Amino acid sequence: MKRKGNVRRAAVVGMVAFSIAGPATAADTITVASWGGTYQEAQTKAFFKPTAEALGITIKEDTTNGLDDVRLQVTGNAVKWDITELGADECARGSKEGLFEKLDYSVIDKSGINPKLVHDDWVGISYTSVVLVYRTDVFGDKGPKTWADFWDVEKFPGRRALSGSQPTETLSVAALAKGIPIDKVYPVDIEGALQSVDKIRNHVDAWWTSGAQAMQLVKDGEVDMASIWNGRAGTLRKEGAPISFSFDQGVLTADCMVIPKGSKNKDIAMKALAKFVSPDLQASLPLYVDNGPANEKAFETGKIPQERIKDINSSPENIGKQVLQDPQFWRDNLVEATEKFNNLIQQ
Amino acid sequence: MSAVSAGHEHAGRIDGTLNAAALRADTRRQALGFLALLSPGLFLVFAVIIVPVGWLFWLSLFDETGTLSAANYARFFEQASYIKTFMTTFKVAFVVTTACVLLGYPLAYLLSQLPRRAASICLVFVILPFWTSVLVRTYAWLVILQRKGLVNSWLIDHGLISQPLQLANNFTGVVIGMIHIMLPFLVLPLYASMKSIDIDCLRAGMNLGASPAATFRQVFLPLSLPGLASGVVIVFVLCLGFFVTPALMGGGKVIMWAMRMEQAASLYSNWGAGAALGVVLLAVTLSLLGLFRWLLGARAAGVWSSR
Amino acid sequence: MLLSLAPSALPIGIHHIEKRFGALSILSDLNLDVAAGEFLTLLGPSGSGKTTLLMILAGFVRANAGSIKVGGEEIITMAPHKRNIGMVFQNYALFPHMNVFHNVAFPLKQRRVSAADTKQRVDHALELVRLQGLGERRVDQLSGGQRQRVALARAIVFEPRIVLMDEPLSALDKGLREHMQIELRNLHRRLGMTTVYVTHDQREAITMSDRIAVMNAGRIEQIDQPETIYAKPKTKFVAGFIGESNFIPVECRNGAIWHENQRLRLSGPAPSAGRHLMVVRPEKLRLLANAEQAGDLNVLRATVGDIIYQGDSFICYAALKDGRQITLREYCRSDVLANLPAPGEPIALGIDASDIVLVADQ
Repeated sequence: MKRKGNVRRAAVVGMVAFSIAGPATAADTITVASWGGTYQEAQTKAFFKPTAEALGITIKEDTTNGLDDVRLQVTGNAVKWDITELGADECARGSKEGLFEKLDYSVIDKSGINPKLVHDDWVGISYTSVVLVYRTDVFGDKGPKTWADFWDVEKFPGRRALSGSQPTETLSVAALAKGIPIDKVYPVDIEGALQSVDKIRNHVDAWWTSGAQAMQLVKDGEVDMASIWNGRAGTLRKEGAPISFSFDQGVLTADCMVIPKGSKNKDIAMKALAKFVSPDLQASLPLYVDNGPANEKAFETGKIPQERIKDINSSPENIGKQVLQDPQFWRDNLVEATEKFNNLIQQ
Repeated sequence: MSAVSAGHEHAGRIDGTLNAAALRADTRRQALGFLALLSPGLFLVFAVIIVPVGWLFWLSLFDETGTLSAANYARFFEQASYIKTFMTTFKVAFVVTTACVLLGYPLAYLLSQLPRRAASICLVFVILPFWTSVLVRTYAWLVILQRKGLVNSWLIDHGLISQPLQLANNFTGVVIGMIHIMLPFLVLPLYASMKSIDIDCLRAGMNLGASPAATFRQVFLPLSLPGLASGVVIVFVLCLGFFVTPALMGGGKVIMWAMRMEQAASLYSNWGAGAALGVVLLAVTLSLLGLFRWLLGARAAGVWSSR
Repeated sequence: MLLSLAPSALPIGIHHIEKRFGALSILSDLNLDVAAGEFLTLLGPSGSGKTTLLMILAGFVRANAGSIKVGGEEIITMAPHKRNIGMVFQNYALFPHMNVFHNVAFPLKQRRVSAADTKQRVDHALELVRLQGLGERRVDQLSGGQRQRVALARAIVFEPRIVLMDEPLSALDKGLREHMQIELRNLHRRLGMTTVYVTHDQREAITMSDRIAVMNAGRIEQIDQPETIYAKPKTKFVAGFIGESNFIPVECRNGAIWHENQRLRLSGPAPSAGRHLMVVRPEKLRLLANAEQAGDLNVLRATVGDIIYQGDSFICYAALKDGRQITLREYCRSDVLANLPAPGEPIALGIDASDIVLVADQ
């Protein structure tokens, strides 16, 4: 008797829950998660709105902290995102863990995207560069131009900052500082790169852990030179901070998008993702933000003004000056390299 | 004899069972009543302490492939950085606690000697920082301590130094920022314990021939020790698990245990890696508390009595 | 020798002490001389300034003006720890973090007495207060009376020139308090230290003191031996504060005193002309079977209001002709009990001329 009552109550609760959840699970709505901030605002304008209009769907937005969030949703059987953005090395790791749905390249046109960023279950979406920034009020226009200069504390005295939270970037930079040419950086000689870090570590005043922190360090003059993401450097320049940077010896890091395993709207998500990486929408991204498009065909659309192209990190003229991070390499070497790196930079 | 026992029999049964069952039942009812009163608290403790801590421990026993293993603990010995982090954590906690004692004791003493009204106004200033978020306070310190911050600018403008001091993005910055956050946790229990010291005890000390300094040393100081001890324990334990200030003020060089937990969980794609760190910290903290308790217990037994 | 009869007991001279807290005057032009070895009690209601005076003596409160000399040496500006005055506090003020031995040894430690000497003197002091063998006890393991004794031992172990006691027995229950009064008295007789004792308990003051200084509103109303204080109070306040008193208004004219046109006999010389109060203790009034029995006694007529039986005695509340309440106490002897009046009955009260005290009616 009692049991029956419970069952009935559960059924009622379930029906109520269903009726509330009902509209949200309607097939014409998907949820996309990205990093938030100005970057996501740009994506909204460049990708999400045009896609929603073109497909006649609703795109809801959320923000992510990265792979941990995806893992939590997938392993917890509580997937609320249909598409999410990740760093390329996170995509490589998540792929190995089987956290993503397979992508259907009959729906998604991969032409124009660097093959290194096209995989079974993830695809590149945009580029960020790690660049060398220095303060012109300290060095004039004679500041450090290469990572070897950055490492040369005699010739370029001053306070320095490098990324402490992104060992992959700092180790790439350290390899460049040893004079390794940009096309020979990968696969990274980790021991060699660590030795290079060891040489500079006592001269590094701050190992930054977020883009905002890197920006603040340079902006407040806490450091005179730093490794920094090009978007942040661009913002500093727009704000009138006395800084200089170029894409020479930059480290290109790709972002990618995935469909978390168990997405309830996988098919629509696939169509939306196809739109996101299409040359047309890709070409809109640099109109709003400094992150370059992952699809090189974007530069052929004519949507991007010529004078803007030279400032975009993934433009044909800039991409050749930079090292492209290899996500597959870091998928296999990240843990070991990070532990050693962390050990090295601790006071 | 027989008359006496007859009298007792008349008065009632004397074999010790009169109403015994009813009284026993009443006792039991009372005990159940207390248990019922306690049950919300017990449930809360179970739900928010026992279960999560147990779960934490459980998680720490599995590696990233989900198999039972001691890998998460073995890492402490395999990777030199964990020992380093451990030492850093204790070093920071020790330095901050010591500084809080040196700063907080005179402060609490002053507060305890002020008239009640003045003391409560000053106490508000001690508590005031509690109402501001730790994040905001830490950023404020960054503004004050960084290379072109208030302190360095002032010192350079007044010709006291020629090169800016390195006060932020290092150990010094972490310690300064944490002292500011931890100080009230030391001052408040200490103040309460000082306030409860009978002023007549201090008068008695002086009356019996002890100079003010000797009275302080022999009477006031020992009587304030329990409050100091609880303040020290609170501050030390809070320091061990601190995250925000070292993360923002350490310049990436001062890695504390809590920061390591966050790193480990994401680096190893596995909650267990962070959970193991949590379990170790919990175990160490509990042993420390046990040690403190033992020391205080010894004191209560008179081992520390002045001689 | 150790804690022997103190030949070194010193007199205290307290002169022209002024103490104000803001506009509030606590003590004004207070003068008091305590003889060497004397047990003097400061008695008064709370707020009378007796504790303040004690605190000034001990050095915990600074006077605004005045002089305190101990054996001729001025100590008014001397730091408390240099005064060499023992003090017993109201709540004992034992050091809770030390055991009994260390509490008592504390003043000796400050005086750098050798360990062997300390042990001997502490043991002796504990023996004097009958706590021998309890040296290792923690303070919180002691009863109230034992704590009191420890405080006492601590205050005398260093043979201070003077001992001050601030209501030391007030926290004890009645039986223990009376017992400790006797013990304190005996201890004082043995050791002979100059003692200033503060209490608001008049019975305690009478029991223990060589002299009592009755304080009221920052001044000393009367300072005398207990017997004199009780029998010959000099002011209405003293008469009212110590023991129970009936106050009957009288008038003095033509060298005689009158109450309601009734002339009263006095044993001493008549006071100055004008209005006075006649102070009569309840136990000095006698219940007369009839007015003719009076003989030499002064007689007052009254009407019984209520009679309250108290075991050893009874109290009779009666009204004089003018309606004024008067209280009489008689012990329960059988002859008295046999003739108890009933409420509402007229009675005659006899007063011996020598039991009449006149005070100013202010």
